[in-house]
Amino acid sequence: MKVSLNWIKDYVKLPEDMDLSRLAYDLTMSTVEVEGAERLADRFDKIVVGEIKEVLPHPNADKLRVCKVDVGAEEIKDIVCGGSNLEAGMKVVVACPGATVRWHGEGEPVEIKNAKLRGVASFGMICASVEVGLADLFPATEEHEIMDVTAFGAAAGTPLAEALDLDDIILEIDNKSMTNRPDLWGHYGIARELAALYDLPLVPFEAYAPETKETYDVRILDTARCPRYIGARIEGLGVKPSPFAMQSRIWRVGMRPINALVDVTNYVMLATGQPTHVFDSDHIIDHIEVRRANAGEKLQLLNEKELELCEDDLVIADAEGAVALAGVMGGAKDSVLPETESVILEVANFESRGVRRTSLRYDNRTEASSRYEKAVDPERCDQALSLAMKLFAELYPEMKVTAFCDQYPNKLTRAEIDVEFDWLDRRLGKRIPQEVVANKLGKMGFEVTFTGSGMHIVVPTWRSTGDVSIKADIMEEIARMYGYENFEATTITTSFDGAINQLGVDLVRRVKEYLAFRCNMQEIFTYPWMTDEFVTALLPSTEGILALATPPAPNERYIRSSLLPNICKAIVKNERNFDEFDIFEEAQVFLDRDYTSAYRGESLPAQKKHLGCAFVGSSDHVSELFRRAKGVIGSMPRYTHMEGFTFEKLEKPYWANETVWLNICLDGKKIGDLALLSKKSALACGIKVLSAVLVELDMDAFVPFKSRTNRFSRVPEFPMNNYDLSFLVDSMVKWEEIRACVMSKKNDLLCDVLFVDEYKGKQIPAGKKSVTVRLVIGSGEKTLTGNEIEAVANSVLKRLAKTIGADIRTA
Amino acid sequence: MKDKLEALLRDGAAKIEGAQTEAELQEIKSTLLGKQGSITELLKEIPKLDVSLRPEMGKAVNRVKSLLTEQIEGKREDLKLKASEISPDFDCTIPGFEPKIGGLHPITQMCYDLNDAFRSMGFEVFSGPEITSEYYAFDNLNFPPNHPARESMDTYWLEGHDTGDAADKLCLRPHLTGDSVRYMQTHKPPYRFVYPGRVYRNETTDARHERAFFQYEALIVDKDFTYTAGKVMIKSILSKVFGQDVPVRMRAGFFPFVEPGFEIDMGCLVCGGKGCSVCKHVGWIEIMPGGTPHPNVLRAAGLDPDEYTGFYVNIGLDRLVMMRYGVDDVRLFHSTDLRFLKQFH
Repeated sequence: MKVSLNWIKDYVKLPEDMDLSRLAYDLTMSTVEVEGAERLADRFDKIVVGEIKEVLPHPNADKLRVCKVDVGAEEIKDIVCGGSNLEAGMKVVVACPGATVRWHGEGEPVEIKNAKLRGVASFGMICASVEVGLADLFPATEEHEIMDVTAFGAAAGTPLAEALDLDDIILEIDNKSMTNRPDLWGHYGIARELAALYDLPLVPFEAYAPETKETYDVRILDTARCPRYIGARIEGLGVKPSPFAMQSRIWRVGMRPINALVDVTNYVMLATGQPTHVFDSDHIIDHIEVRRANAGEKLQLLNEKELELCEDDLVIADAEGAVALAGVMGGAKDSVLPETESVILEVANFESRGVRRTSLRYDNRTEASSRYEKAVDPERCDQALSLAMKLFAELYPEMKVTAFCDQYPNKLTRAEIDVEFDWLDRRLGKRIPQEVVANKLGKMGFEVTFTGSGMHIVVPTWRSTGDVSIKADIMEEIARMYGYENFEATTITTSFDGAINQLGVDLVRRVKEYLAFRCNMQEIFTYPWMTDEFVTALLPSTEGILALATPPAPNERYIRSSLLPNICKAIVKNERNFDEFDIFEEAQVFLDRDYTSAYRGESLPAQKKHLGCAFVGSSDHVSELFRRAKGVIGSMPRYTHMEGFTFEKLEKPYWANETVWLNICLDGKKIGDLALLSKKSALACGIKVLSAVLVELDMDAFVPFKSRTNRFSRVPEFPMNNYDLSFLVDSMVKWEEIRACVMSKKNDLLCDVLFVDEYKGKQIPAGKKSVTVRLVIGSGEKTLTGNEIEAVANSVLKRLAKTIGADIRTA
Repeated sequence: MKDKLEALLRDGAAKIEGAQTEAELQEIKSTLLGKQGSITELLKEIPKLDVSLRPEMGKAVNRVKSLLTEQIEGKREDLKLKASEISPDFDCTIPGFEPKIGGLHPITQMCYDLNDAFRSMGFEVFSGPEITSEYYAFDNLNFPPNHPARESMDTYWLEGHDTGDAADKLCLRPHLTGDSVRYMQTHKPPYRFVYPGRVYRNETTDARHERAFFQYEALIVDKDFTYTAGKVMIKSILSKVFGQDVPVRMRAGFFPFVEPGFEIDMGCLVCGGKGCSVCKHVGWIEIMPGGTPHPNVLRAAGLDPDEYTGFYVNIGLDRLVMMRYGVDDVRLFHSTDLRFLKQFH
C-alpha cells in the first residue's frame, strides 16, 4: 500500500523537521514494514515550467517546430518540438538537460541532453504528459499533444513539482505486514499509529447529521453478512473532473482519477480504509436490498465481467435485480454513468469471509474486497460518511441529501480484556509505568480503567473485529509502542536435569555421515512426488500409493512409496556428466494403509523413514558395483553402531535383475533390498549406458546400540601368515560354499579364509572358474615354520578337492 | 712388515672408497678382513716375530683392522643412502591426489550445524510426519477458518482425503509448526526442542520460490520466560553458525500462531550493515519470523497459557544456506545435480 505523508499530515501534525528515515524505521519496528520511501519531487528533477514565447517553423522538417521558450533563464531558449497544440503564451513542461524522461512513455528512462534535431540546436525537450509519468493526471486527447500547465499559473522556470504541488513523500508499505490490521488500510489508520508513537494529537472526524427527514428504503435481508448499511440519496451532482488536488492525491498513492463522483468514493476509501460506492439513483428501482444472490442470477460488473452468481454471493439489489456484488464491485449498468445527476451513496459493512469467498470465486479482487476481507469494523462507516458528505458539499455546493437511512442491525461489540500487572511484568521482563501504559493505549483508542492489581481494557471498535481479543494482544500493543528495542536482553536460565540422549536421531546422522565420509557417497534431495514414467519403470503397480489432489504437474500426482523412482531420475540426470557416482537419499515414504493415531484427533497413513542408495558405474564392471554396494551396506551396522544385517534371498524386488539381487534382513525380517537394476527397468527410466546397483532400506527398523559394544581383542603375539591358494571349481559353486568347506574342519592354526579373486574366461575351461582365496594361518603360542604352514594349506586343498571338486590350478 | 701394513691400509682405504655397490663392498671386506683376508694373514704372522716386537706389531695390525672396519661400515651407510636417493628432476609442483570423498547435502550440513548449536544449549531434536491432518496443520495453530493458506492454492491436499472435517483432511505439511503441538502433547514441560524438516507449498516456482523447502523451528516453553530471552537465543545461534557476532533486531510481525509476533532481522554480513544490494540497502536481512506461542497453541498442547509462555523461531534453512554460499537459485537444492552438490564437500 502506498501512503502519502502530506495526506497523513491532514490527521496528525508531524513536526516539520521529522527525519524521514527515522519515521520509516519507527513504523517498521513497531507497526508495519516500510519497504521504501520516495520523494515524489525527485521524479521531476530538472523539469520546469516553460512559457512559449514564439512558435517558428523548422527549416528542415514540416512536422517539427522551433519554439522560443522562457525557462526562467536569462536568455530565451530554442527547443525543437513536434507537439500538435503548441501556441505562443502556453505554459509547458520542459525537461532541461540532465532530466530523465521516457520517450513517448515507453521503454527505459533516458537522460535529456543538449542536441541538434534536424540541424537545429534544441535545449532540452517540451514534454507530453506520458513522458513525465503524468498521463493519469493530464490525459492527452491525441497522440502528439503536449502537456499544458497554463492553468496552474506558475511563473516560467518554476520546478514542475512545485508548480503542481507534488512535494510529497510516498511510503511503500508491505501489505503482508498488515493483513491482521484492518484499521491500517487507510491514511487515517497509519496517522493514528504515528500519533501514538510520537505522542501527538489526532484530528477527529466530525459526525454527520442528516438534515432530511425522508428515509431512504434500505432492506438488509442477511444481517450476518451485512451488519450495517447506510444509504443516502444525493441530488444536484453531475459528472465532472474532480479538483486537481484530489486527483493528485489519488494518483500518487497508485490509483487513477476517473471523475468527481468516483474520485470521492476512492478518496474516502484511501483516507479511512472504508470502501464506499455510488449508484445512479435514477437506475435504482424503488429501494435497495442486501440479499443473497439467487442461483444462476446474472450480473455484469463495472469491468464488463459477466457473472452467473450462486447462493453464497451477497448482492446489492433493487426491486428488479442485482445491481452490485456486495463488497467487491458495482454493476456496469447502475453505477455512475456519464449522465448521472443524482446518486445513492452506499457506505456499508460486509462480513469478511463472504467477501473473500466471492472475490476468489470470480477471480475478482478489488481495492474494496481486499479491505473488506481483512474484517473492517462497522463503526468506521461513520467516518467514511462524514468525509464523503464533506467532499460532496465542497465539490457540489448545490448538492442536497434528499433521503437517508442508516440500518445497523448487527452492532459491533467492543472486546473487553482484563490484564493483571503481575502477569504483564513477568511476560515483559520489566515494569513499565502505569501512566505510560495508559497513555500509549489511550492514544490508540483503548479505554483503560485501573483496578488495583491490573487494568480493565475496552478495545476500540477498529481493533475489535478479531485483531485484539486476548491479554497477549494487549501485551504486544504495550511492548511495540514502548519499543521492542527498549527491553534489555535477559539470559536464558538452564535447568540441568541430565544430558540429552537421542539414539534414533544420532543413528540417522551416523548413517548419513558414514555414507558420505567413509563411503564417498553424495547425499541428494528429491521431491516427494514421483514422475509417472519412473513409477511404471520401478514399481509393480500404483495400488496403495497416495496421490495429490492438486499435483505440481499432471504426471507427478503420486507421492513416493519408495525412494527408488526419484533416485533413478537423479541417475538419468547425472549420467550425462559422470561415468561413475554413488548417491544416497534419506527421506520419508508414504503408504495408503496402516492408518494410525499417534497423536490426538487424527489418523495418518503409514509414513516411514527410508534410505535409498545408487551405486552407478560402467556396465562392464557389474561385479565391482555389486561388491561396492554390498560392502557399504554390510559394514554399515558395524561403523554406525547398530544391530547387524544379514543378506538373504527371500523375494526378488520387482525392478531387480533375475540373478543379482539380495534381501537385507534384520533379525530374520526383511528390511530392504540390494540388487542390480534390471535392464528392462533401466531402459524404461531412460538410463542409457551405465549400470546401477540400488539399495532401499527401512531406517525405522534400525536398532541403535545404546553405546559402543565391540570388545577389544588382543593383538597376536606371533606372526600371522597369509597363504594364497588358487584352484578351479564348477562356475556355479558359491563363495559361501567354499568358505564353509574351508572352515568346516576345526584347526587351531587356520584362523580365517578371505576371498581374493575369481576369474572366468580365457585359459579356463568352460563351466569352470578359477578362485583365489587367502588362508590366514598362525598360532597363539609360537612362530610357525614353513612346513607347518604348508601342512595346513595342503589339508585345506584336499578338503576342497573332495567336497566341492576343486582342482589345483596348474597355470 | 710395518711397510706392508701401511700399504694395506692405504690400498684398502682406496678400494673401500671406490666401491660402488654393497656387494662390492662385501667382497672388499672379505679380501681384507675375512678368514683368508690380508689382515687376518698378517695377524697369523705375528707369532713368528721376535717377542719384543710382537706387542707393538699386534697393536698396529689391530689398529689397521679397526680403521678398515670403520671405513667399510661408513661406506656401507653411504651406499645405502645413495641407493634410496631421489632424482633431482622430481617435480614438486605436480598436483596432489584429491581424496575421493562424498558429502552431505549443504542443507543437511547447515541443519547439523544448527543441531549442534541448539544441543549445546540443551535442546532436543524432534521430527514429525510429513503427511498431516488439517487439524495439526491449521486448527491447532490458531489459523482462522478463513485463512488463505488453507485454500488449495497453497497446500498440497491428498486425493481422496481433501474433504471432510479437519481430522480427515490430509495434506503434505505446509509448515513445521504443527509438529510443536505433537511434541508438547507427548512430552512434559518445560520444553526446549528443535524440529527441522521439509515443508511443501503448492506455488509457482522461480529462483526464489520452491514447492519443497526446508525449515528449522525451535521452541522454548517455560514459566516466567520473557521474549527478550528469545533474542539472546537467536543471537547465540546465528553467531555460532556464522562464526562472528551477528546483530539481531526484532520488529512487529504477524503470524496466527504467535502473540506477540516478530519479524527477526540479522545485520547484513556482506556490507556490515552499511547497505548493499544483498540487503536491499537497508543493512538488515529478514531471516525468520518468531514470537511467543499463541495461547490457543499452548491450549492445544494441553498447557495453561497463564502459567506457561515461551519463544518460537522459524529459520528458513534454504535462505540461510543461500546466504552462506551465495547460491542464487533455490531450485538447485532439489536438482540432484552432482556438479552443484559436490561443491559443498
